[in-house]
Amino acid sequence: LRSIAIVLGALALASGAAGATRLDPGVTSTSVTIGGTVPLSGVAAAYASVGRGADAYFKYWNDTRGGVNKRKIEYVYLDDQYDPSKTVDQTRRLIQEEHAFAIFNSLGTEQNLAVRALLNGAKVPQVFVASGGLTFGRDYKQYPYTIGFLPSYVAEGTIYGKFLRLQKKKPTIAVLYQDDDYGKEMLRGLEKGLAGKGRIVARQSYDPTAADVNSQVAALKSSKANTFLIAATPKYAIQAYIQANKLGWKPQIVVNQVASASNVMKIVQSSVGKLAEGSISIGFVKDPTDPRFAKDKVVKLYRSILKKYQPNADPNDVYHVYAMAVAHEFINALAHAGNPPTRAGLMRAVTHMNDKKNPFLYPGVVVHTTPTSRFPITQAAVIRWKGGHWNAVGNLVSAR
Amino acid sequence: MRAWVSRGVVLAAGIVAFFVLPHVVADFRLIEFARVGQYFIAMLGLYVLTEYTGQVSIGHGAFMAIGGYTSGILVFHRHWSELATIPAAALVAGVAGLLFGLPALRLRGPYLALATFAMAVSVPAIIKKWESLTGGSTGLLFATFHSNRWYYNLTWICAGILVVVAWIVLASPVGRTWRALRDSEIAASSFGVRVPLYKTLAFGLSAAYAGVAGAILVIVSLGANPNSFPVQLSIYLLVGVAFGSFASIPGILLAAILVQYSQVYAPKWFSDNPGIPTLAIGFALILGAFLAAGATALTNRWHSGLKRQRPAKETS
Repeated sequence: LRSIAIVLGALALASGAAGATRLDPGVTSTSVTIGGTVPLSGVAAAYASVGRGADAYFKYWNDTRGGVNKRKIEYVYLDDQYDPSKTVDQTRRLIQEEHAFAIFNSLGTEQNLAVRALLNGAKVPQVFVASGGLTFGRDYKQYPYTIGFLPSYVAEGTIYGKFLRLQKKKPTIAVLYQDDDYGKEMLRGLEKGLAGKGRIVARQSYDPTAADVNSQVAALKSSKANTFLIAATPKYAIQAYIQANKLGWKPQIVVNQVASASNVMKIVQSSVGKLAEGSISIGFVKDPTDPRFAKDKVVKLYRSILKKYQPNADPNDVYHVYAMAVAHEFINALAHAGNPPTRAGLMRAVTHMNDKKNPFLYPGVVVHTTPTSRFPITQAAVIRWKGGHWNAVGNLVSAR
Repeated sequence: MRAWVSRGVVLAAGIVAFFVLPHVVADFRLIEFARVGQYFIAMLGLYVLTEYTGQVSIGHGAFMAIGGYTSGILVFHRHWSELATIPAAALVAGVAGLLFGLPALRLRGPYLALATFAMAVSVPAIIKKWESLTGGSTGLLFATFHSNRWYYNLTWICAGILVVVAWIVLASPVGRTWRALRDSEIAASSFGVRVPLYKTLAFGLSAAYAGVAGAILVIVSLGANPNSFPVQLSIYLLVGVAFGSFASIPGILLAAILVQYSQVYAPKWFSDNPGIPTLAIGFALILGAFLAAGATALTNRWHSGLKRQRPAKETS
């Protein structure tokens, strides 16, 4: 008799489970929990803004719009100290303890690589990776649950190459790049964009933990190049400007996007004066310090959101705008991921994006993906530093 | 004899905790406990070195990196099972420790410490340069994963074995010679002890422990990356020495827990504004080390007050 009762009980449980709508992990009738890792401590803590800006935007969205399909977005962002082994631990925590529906906006190339196989194995979406690593958009056959967001470093390098090869004076280029995938991909993009019409006459790499880049810049100067591409993070980019100025080298400078925020360029300008004038970079999010956007409604909204939900954050830090752009796009994708949303639905949504109206992006930049083209942003404006701020040069450029 | 009784108690308590814990905590915690074990093993090796031979190293993170990359390379390039790489990691890191020890141990006190610090700074940079073997800044990524329980078992079985090994070595003539060295190098050498040999041996053993810890770090992290062996890792391990000299094995365990959880909870408990968690972690560790050192001094004074002599040290 007892065994019959057990069988009956099991049957009742099984039918009950089949009858109820099975929700994916992290989804309840009132909330969706997502998670991500950013460095809040350690060498790269400056990138914490990429987590904090997104957090502010989700809170704003929950308060003013009630979330997505009446589900509030709970965004848990944890510190990984920029150490991939900690990214692995924190991502495990997000999946196993916080039951995150998706991993969103985690920062860093190596950090995202460290958890990619784990997430794809568990079929957890790894969406809008905060890295320009080419692999996150390219290798979707092997890792279908992974997608990036910002232009790849190869794409950025290609844009510079295309721009430079159209200059009147044939460019001879010296490149300072970080000695890792990021720097090397930028260099590869530059070669691709130049398509043989311009020469890279010198290249010098630096270690991302080095004290300075002075000897590299001196070596590059001796090549007598007329163009200097700085593919470096802010600290080293500033040093490169200062050292070039000290040595009396006056090339056309191209500075990569990760170091061209206006607040960084203001430091550069105050240290090197005229050498900064005429520098070239790319932009794809609205820079809050750019006077062209001073009266922009979205930039005003951005400032008020940040002030309310992250009062300690620096509103002039452009990474906060980037973070809101990516959070906005996630909300968009989640709305198309089904009701209730599913992980498979989210992946379908992020591989069928065609958003021309992301308010935080540069006017005209389209977020576009297909299942076989997984680089959401491929356009950017070439911008020139003049009179203390960036100005667009011509129309948007596509890296394709 | 009494020492072995208390050792038996520690070991028995450890074994009971090892089996009970997985049933009373959430599955995810087992990964955190594996991390605690990884710090514990490295600290244990460093503690033996400092406490029993009086040498200070602030570069043991480098030996963790050597062990970790030994494991990473064998799994990634040679397709070894993770388990099999652990003895290899111990061996390679141990030999590296011996080789480093040969010239460096002629230095004393702060000079030795500085030499080891140079190791901690340079090894991650060397790893990045050797790209074909180490994968450069991307590192080496493993393709297979295990359950949280598997990583927990692996770590704490290794830790248990290494605790027993440490006890055996310390009870052997080698251990006695080390203690003689610590108390007076001159006296020991006048008794015919070959000082450099024994000092180098101690350094090699503690490097081997760090190697095992590094291998476990890599295995639990599902791959090796140079960013996982920053300079502060070597500093964190020193906290274990401070706690160990106060309460030996339980002290080291406490230090390992402190190092792991201060990193996990600093952003939550204090503030996640840039820089604050780093500060909080540092502050918690320094405070902990000070308290442990103070407690050691107090108990020493208590003992010497009773016996009017320096008590012979034994691990409990």
